[in-house]
Amino acid sequence: MKRSPYLARHLVATILLGLLLCNNASSQSALRWGADPSGGAPYVFTDPANPDQYIGYEKEMVEALAKAMGRKAEFVPSDWETLMSALQRGSFDVIVNGFEPTTDRALQVSFSKPYYIFQLQLTVRRDDTRINSLADCQNRVVGTLGNTAASRYLQQQGIPFRTYADPIGAYQDVELKRLDAALMDVPAEAFYAHNNPKLRPAGEPFLNGLYVVGLRKGDDALKAQIDAAIDQIIVDGTLERILKKWNLWNNAQVEFQNTIRSGTKGEITGYVMTNSAFNWREALWRLTRAAMVTVLLAFGAMIIAVVLGMPLAIGQSMGPSWLRGLCTTYVEFFRGTPVLVQLLFLYFGLPAVGLTMPGWLTALVGLGLNYAAYESQVYRAALEAIPRGQWEAAYSLSMSSVLAFRRIILPQAFRIALPPMTNDFVSLFKDTSVAFAISVWELATAYRELANASGQFLLLGVAVSLFYLAMSLPMAHVARLLERRLRERSTRQEEAAEVAA
Amino acid sequence: MIHVNGLRKRFGSAEILHDISFTVPDQSVLGVIGGSGSGKTTLLRCLNGFERISGGTIECGDIKLESHLSAKEYKHRVKNLRLHVGTVFQHFFLFPHLSAIGNIIEAPVHVLRTAKATAEREALELLESVGLKEAALRYPESLSGGEQQRVAIARALAMRPAVLLFDEPTSALDPRRTVSLRTMLRSFVGKGHTMVIISHSLGFLDGLADNLLYMEQGDLVEFGPTNQVLNSPKDPRTKDFVAQAG
Repeated sequence: MKRSPYLARHLVATILLGLLLCNNASSQSALRWGADPSGGAPYVFTDPANPDQYIGYEKEMVEALAKAMGRKAEFVPSDWETLMSALQRGSFDVIVNGFEPTTDRALQVSFSKPYYIFQLQLTVRRDDTRINSLADCQNRVVGTLGNTAASRYLQQQGIPFRTYADPIGAYQDVELKRLDAALMDVPAEAFYAHNNPKLRPAGEPFLNGLYVVGLRKGDDALKAQIDAAIDQIIVDGTLERILKKWNLWNNAQVEFQNTIRSGTKGEITGYVMTNSAFNWREALWRLTRAAMVTVLLAFGAMIIAVVLGMPLAIGQSMGPSWLRGLCTTYVEFFRGTPVLVQLLFLYFGLPAVGLTMPGWLTALVGLGLNYAAYESQVYRAALEAIPRGQWEAAYSLSMSSVLAFRRIILPQAFRIALPPMTNDFVSLFKDTSVAFAISVWELATAYRELANASGQFLLLGVAVSLFYLAMSLPMAHVARLLERRLRERSTRQEEAAEVAA
Repeated sequence: MIHVNGLRKRFGSAEILHDISFTVPDQSVLGVIGGSGSGKTTLLRCLNGFERISGGTIECGDIKLESHLSAKEYKHRVKNLRLHVGTVFQHFFLFPHLSAIGNIIEAPVHVLRTAKATAEREALELLESVGLKEAALRYPESLSGGEQQRVAIARALAMRPAVLLFDEPTSALDPRRTVSLRTMLRSFVGKGHTMVIISHSLGFLDGLADNLLYMEQGDLVEFGPTNQVLNSPKDPRTKDFVAQAG
């Protein structure tokens, strides 16, 4: 529910930015920084009291940095998973988003010196006594954010995990027992989970890591300015003041800032640099699993759509007026609102009335309900295309309306409905990608996350496209066969007629 | 026997049929004639229950349709009525997804629960009687208009109706086919069928219909033996129509 308005804002921001870039380069003076504000507290997020403004400790910090550099900070809302590619495209100058240095990221971007020491915190339900450390999670599913220190650590430890677009979704799924635990950076945990009476921290924070500013490779002048600015706001106490304000000041920061203040040169050591070991075999295996989920979603949803579409179509075109109204309302609701919003509603909204479904089932049911509205219209058009005379001929032969419908109308309508139904199925296949919004690991999610983790957008893109084609081509083939069979029968009949004449 | 008494049909406030009364004796043929908009098709649609009558009664065998019946009861009686009344539509309305024989056995198998093999044997006999045995497996779209009509007739006959209703049966036929259709329909009378035939063609009905009924603007103008209506009509309006239709 947080996602789509944000995406829209992002779009607007990108367009405005594009216009700005086209116009002139005078915006040089602004320090444009990119971060994902969606579920981004306490880093940078929408001010609940003032929804057209962003707040957060990193926002205040970047403003302090910019001030130290004699520039003005300009926030460019973006998407966590695509931060690095957006940086490289020039959408903004720096990434400031609780960004940790890793060896794979080092291949694509360069890093400033660190400005914050973070740790990871495991969170479980308050009444759950089984889990007290990550070691207790070996056979459970842990939620975390995609492409973070936490996700990489879980991957290294071989602990099954599911990635989320923001911490809220993950913590909510822990509450709803869709997950057993969530692993997050301490700042996020502090903001989203620490005061939640239904949740408790499991064990102490662990794994020290660093937040740095991400820069384009070769932007050395900017890197030098940023590094100097970081030193300055640490030495003059600005950063300490900001962190204290946001309850992020702790012993790790004291120790870290003291090294800077004492003027110690050289690298900060003693901190774990998490690394995602990307290997193609594993990536292909994950893609294969994701493809199977996609197939399951598409077929399951289509079965629901095909079955539920029929009573909707019948109710809408033949039912009494109250039923017509009901069916029309259903159809207009599901066609008139984005499927993404519907999925988010089912996933996050329904638990409020006690109905909690796992993500894959939510996606399957949600897409099924959505496509039922479309299928009902295909059926309705097909049913209404059958001439009235066909009904009357059936009635004149003493058929009941049910029999006439089943034996006379439906088979004819099916032939009319078949081509648009196959079309819908192909687009349903592609629409399964919206399931990423509720953390279902299907093909598009897999691509996004693997590509962002590896930077292999091109090769993985080809692989994913091949997966989609391997699934959709046989389907198109079957549809063509079916249509050809129907067509051939008529041709055979015409030939027979010519021979007879 | 069909007995129509005081039949009225209204659509909203417009009355289409005014006080129509006539009788069709068993195993006889009634020809209904009249210009466009005279109400003859509406009359036919009342006879097979597609339009609910607004006044009077229709009796067919022991089934009686009355205007004051509840919707449910009316529907129930129409259902019974249709077991005895077959209709051959002007545009035939064959089922395009079924072969000729499939069209014919559909209702016997699924309504009368006749065994499929029996129904198929009977259907072939019917197709033979209308001269289309070789077309059994062909689909409607490959049949000519005349052939489609004969399949439609066989389809109606397969339900063994006592009464057959025809709406403009000659509209799709050339003169030669018209003659052979008349011969075929005449033979049905000998097999025990009672028929009501709507037609523009007086030539077609002459020698086929026992009685003629002339309608104009929803009124029954004249009803009597074919010979009398054609040769010495009582009403000047009938006289005009017969003279013009030639």
